[in-house]
Amino acid sequence: MTQALILEFKKARGRKIWMIVAAMTLVEIIWTLWGTSRMDEHDLAQGWESVLLQYPVINSIIMPVMAAVVASRVCDVEHKGQTLKLLETLMPAGRIFDAKFLFSNLYMITAVMIQIISMVVVGCLKGFAGNPPMDKLACYLLFTGTVNMTLLLLQQILSLQFANQMVSLSVGLLGGLMSIFLFYLPKVFSNFFLWGYYAVLTFVEMDWNPATRIVNYYYISENWSSFILLLGAFTMLYLIGRRLFIRKEI
Amino acid sequence: MFSRTLRAERIKLHHNPVWLAFLFLPIIPSVMGSFNYLQNIGILQEKWYDLWSQQTLFNCYFFLPALIGVYCSYLYRLEHINHNWNTVMTMPVPVANFVLSKLSSAALMVLLTQIWTGLLFVLSGKLIGIDTALPPELFTWLFYGAIGGIVISAVQLTLSLVIHSFAVPVGIALIGGISGLFASAKGFGVWDPYALLSLGMEANKAGSTMQCSCSQFLINSLMIIILCISFSILWLKKRDVLTM
Repeated sequence: MTQALILEFKKARGRKIWMIVAAMTLVEIIWTLWGTSRMDEHDLAQGWESVLLQYPVINSIIMPVMAAVVASRVCDVEHKGQTLKLLETLMPAGRIFDAKFLFSNLYMITAVMIQIISMVVVGCLKGFAGNPPMDKLACYLLFTGTVNMTLLLLQQILSLQFANQMVSLSVGLLGGLMSIFLFYLPKVFSNFFLWGYYAVLTFVEMDWNPATRIVNYYYISENWSSFILLLGAFTMLYLIGRRLFIRKEI
Repeated sequence: MFSRTLRAERIKLHHNPVWLAFLFLPIIPSVMGSFNYLQNIGILQEKWYDLWSQQTLFNCYFFLPALIGVYCSYLYRLEHINHNWNTVMTMPVPVANFVLSKLSSAALMVLLTQIWTGLLFVLSGKLIGIDTALPPELFTWLFYGAIGGIVISAVQLTLSLVIHSFAVPVGIALIGGISGLFASAKGFGVWDPYALLSLGMEANKAGSTMQCSCSQFLINSLMIIILCISFSILWLKKRDVLTM
């Protein structure tokens, strides 16, 4: 497995996959900075809550597309070079699938880590009330990382199954569009779509008073049952996708 | 000559399922936008105008640019693979014709998407029971939106010509769409090619006047399109092709 993973690193050399991930993460950070640029005392008092809600909303737009782009970059290289025939004679197809998945995940996890670092830096510089809520940030890492991982898996399956990358990228876009809409619909709908889990697993809610125009953010308990449901979906998708790839004619 | 190049483009796209994405994508915002409208019907009083914003806002800023990006990436992927550049560049066809026919293919798809978006808007409005007359600006929104879409096509085609990857230009388009959101908020949307679509469709504030004058909108659009076409032609004339 280590060798298969090293192989992925070698294939990615000079392809600058990190650049598009970095650009998208940077956009997210700029967006957050924009959102936190004008904060009064009331806003600063609930600064951590507000960024912990703001990031999932932005993630729901950007992350499905980022997953589609990363998966496509990592998988399309085999279609273009018609290298699967050679690779599969050297190692089991399942191992190629796993190595690609682990490798792509590194990008997605790094993106989430950078988000968290940016949250802490912005929070400390702006003077959000209290210390960084480490337990909440850890939850954010776990939830966002898992949703990203599941979407990445779906994108990888599509990118490997269809040589035409238009299919996987269109699905990524449709997912992203659905994801942002689901944020504004009752959460019950979001449970039915993989892309809706950014909304389902958000543990901050917002209360907007139209009369006073004051926004209040507050923590709600983490939705562990939906998280387990997501893990179930991930496992099923993994088993089906891996099998499809192993049985695929090359 | 040009019509034959255009026909060749059409043949290349024969049996291609790309239109499915353009068929399904506008359905999501119209269904979910209508649902959202119904949920907030207490606050939203401007009927057709509010419904239009609900349906087009996310679509214009985040997804239509990226979807156009997918289509443009596909148009050039056809040439990037199978050593096709060798054939394209040795055909007795001026490079300009080739570039223009690519843009025409993308523009046609944008036009059809706009018509489909308009139809879905009217249909969903009738279904949720909006009883007032249709907004007279609908045709203008769709028309200027189409121009904005064609501008994005021109930019994306240029990117896909230069960048051989399929996915990277799509990522850039998404970032571009978001840049459009910032540019419009700061008031210089007319200078951002990705903001022209939402500006033209008046996605964020339907019913008011456009952020810029119509003539400036058209001049800037034309300028960006000409710039992209000229760059593509120069690129193809001066650079050696890279086949794979």
